[in-house]
Amino acid sequence: MADVVLSNVNKRFGTFTAVEDLNLDIQQGEFISLLGPSGCGKTTTLRMLAGLEFPTSGEIRIGDRVVNDLPPGDRDIAMVFQSYALYPHMSVGQNIAYPLKKRRVPKTERAEMVAKTAEMLQLTPLLHRKPKELSGGQQQRVALGRALVRDPKVFLLDEPLSNLDAKLRGYMRAELIELHQRLGRTMVYVTHDQLEAMTMSDRIAVMEGGKLQQFAPPQEVYRAPANRFVASFIGTPGMNVIDGTLWQESGRWTFDAPGFSVDAGQLGPDARPGPAAMGIRPEGLTLGSGPIQAVTQLVEQTGHENITVVRLDGDLRMTGRTAPDQIWRAGEPVQFSIDARQAHFFAEGPTGKRLNRDVSKIDASTANRAPLKEATS
Amino acid sequence: MLRKIAFNLFAWSIVLMVAFPLFWMLVTSVKPQFELFRRPPTILPETWTFEHYWKLLSDTNFLGYFWNSVILSTTTTIVVVAIATLGAYSLVRFRYRGRESLAFLVLFTYLLPSVVLILPLYLMLVQLGLSNTITSLVIAYTTFALPYALWLLRSFMAGIPEDLESAALVDGASRLGAFWDIILPQLLPGIISTALFTFILSWNEYLYALVLVNSDDARPLTTGVMNMLISSFNIEWSLLMAASVMMSVPLIIVFAFLQSYLTRGFGAGGVKG
Repeated sequence: MADVVLSNVNKRFGTFTAVEDLNLDIQQGEFISLLGPSGCGKTTTLRMLAGLEFPTSGEIRIGDRVVNDLPPGDRDIAMVFQSYALYPHMSVGQNIAYPLKKRRVPKTERAEMVAKTAEMLQLTPLLHRKPKELSGGQQQRVALGRALVRDPKVFLLDEPLSNLDAKLRGYMRAELIELHQRLGRTMVYVTHDQLEAMTMSDRIAVMEGGKLQQFAPPQEVYRAPANRFVASFIGTPGMNVIDGTLWQESGRWTFDAPGFSVDAGQLGPDARPGPAAMGIRPEGLTLGSGPIQAVTQLVEQTGHENITVVRLDGDLRMTGRTAPDQIWRAGEPVQFSIDARQAHFFAEGPTGKRLNRDVSKIDASTANRAPLKEATS
Repeated sequence: MLRKIAFNLFAWSIVLMVAFPLFWMLVTSVKPQFELFRRPPTILPETWTFEHYWKLLSDTNFLGYFWNSVILSTTTTIVVVAIATLGAYSLVRFRYRGRESLAFLVLFTYLLPSVVLILPLYLMLVQLGLSNTITSLVIAYTTFALPYALWLLRSFMAGIPEDLESAALVDGASRLGAFWDIILPQLLPGIISTALFTFILSWNEYLYALVLVNSDDARPLTTGVMNMLISSFNIEWSLLMAASVMMSVPLIIVFAFLQSYLTRGFGAGGVKG
């Protein structure tokens, strides 16, 4: 059952279009990430879901209600803000109790629910402190507690981890995944951090320029990016995207890049001869032997692997991943090959469509965590 | 080291310059009449007396004026703070055409010398049938305290993160509820500064009180005391100083109580930038 549905949603601020013709179907209990660079419309989308912004046109449904004109408080949602937005003059306990107070939950019941939430988030010893007396991680937990205490239908999270240091972020990521599995609630998570989106989500909605680029499970977004933008946005280090030309001979396609050619095999029906782009992830490069000549430019040793940047003729740079013991020195010549089976081909332009034939839909149930509804009881 | 001493000396000399008239006011008010003009003057009175205070309270209308001033200043403060708080909220949070120009127009009214406005205001108040009332002074003071109060509160309001209000809305508060529960407590230091400013302004105002009110029932302290103690033949210095001391006391008390609020809890910590 679809829990949250956005149909043809548009949002304009004056002449600026923040969100354009957005359609999203979010299933009950799903963890969805809205992922994209700054200004891609992800936060505006979340604020429209919250009722803090109203769509210029289109329809937003939560559950079986059209909520377009409902104020935030009547939507049965809770939101965690990037800034946490804790009420500075209230204690931790009062902060968590505030949504209950506003919904006229009786005092004794309120105290019980606050105690239970505080227990779950290990906030019990902090209940009487003021927000400014807490560390960043503790403030984050209070913000979560304020959202959790009411058990809303949908959780909205706006980059909740971006103010934490790297270690704490990793820890909170795991906490959030666990929380989602325990509660089985629909969660919509805004982030510009692909690692967060990849590790936590059931599905990722990649946005750019106010438009939805792809809405699919993380593995599919990674392995079969819908277009050039998604391909280059997802993955660290990023995908190598090389401009070149596609041509066809007796049903087989070939991609000519400056300095080398790749056998593209059979492509989808949208493929046309002419300017195009090829994308290949760093793991698709095999360094050490192969037909392509290059010079090592830079090696980054991360410990469990090496990221090697090589330079081809015409200043074309490509990034490869190698085992930690495979080290080239900068300036050393190196041969490499490209695994054509891992190559993606895109039509011209920054959001050029993916042309590969095998739009290999990865089965969400095997490739990804399924929403664990049964775990809630 | 030398620098530090020089700096300290400089600071203290300024403090003395400011404080001496106040000290002299206090000393004069407790000197008996015959000691006032003695040469060389006595720094501390040889004989202490509170007869001037007693005379002021029992023989004159001082308490009547005092009461008028209290009502006048308190009412003006409440009116100005109420309007300025809501106005600042509107200027900061709502998006409408001409919002910025409106804010500048408000500031512009503050730039006009208040003397220029006396006559038009006087005529309007007479036509409204409000001449010689405390209400007329409340209206007049509001007109020149409000623009400044609005600007002061506007900057305080702009410092309150919008997320706080959004969070309150999501948590189920109405717009007014969010204003009451979240905005107002955050705005408290601003409200107190504004209230102090307005109160002091209305308490000390002289010119409008002189022009707009000409009856003892509505006269505030400033014009009242002048009227009562300064005649063309004689100035009752001791009484005047005693009255001045008593006029200053309420402000000193108010300030002593509220100044800690001015610096306290500027909403720190709730929102990480």
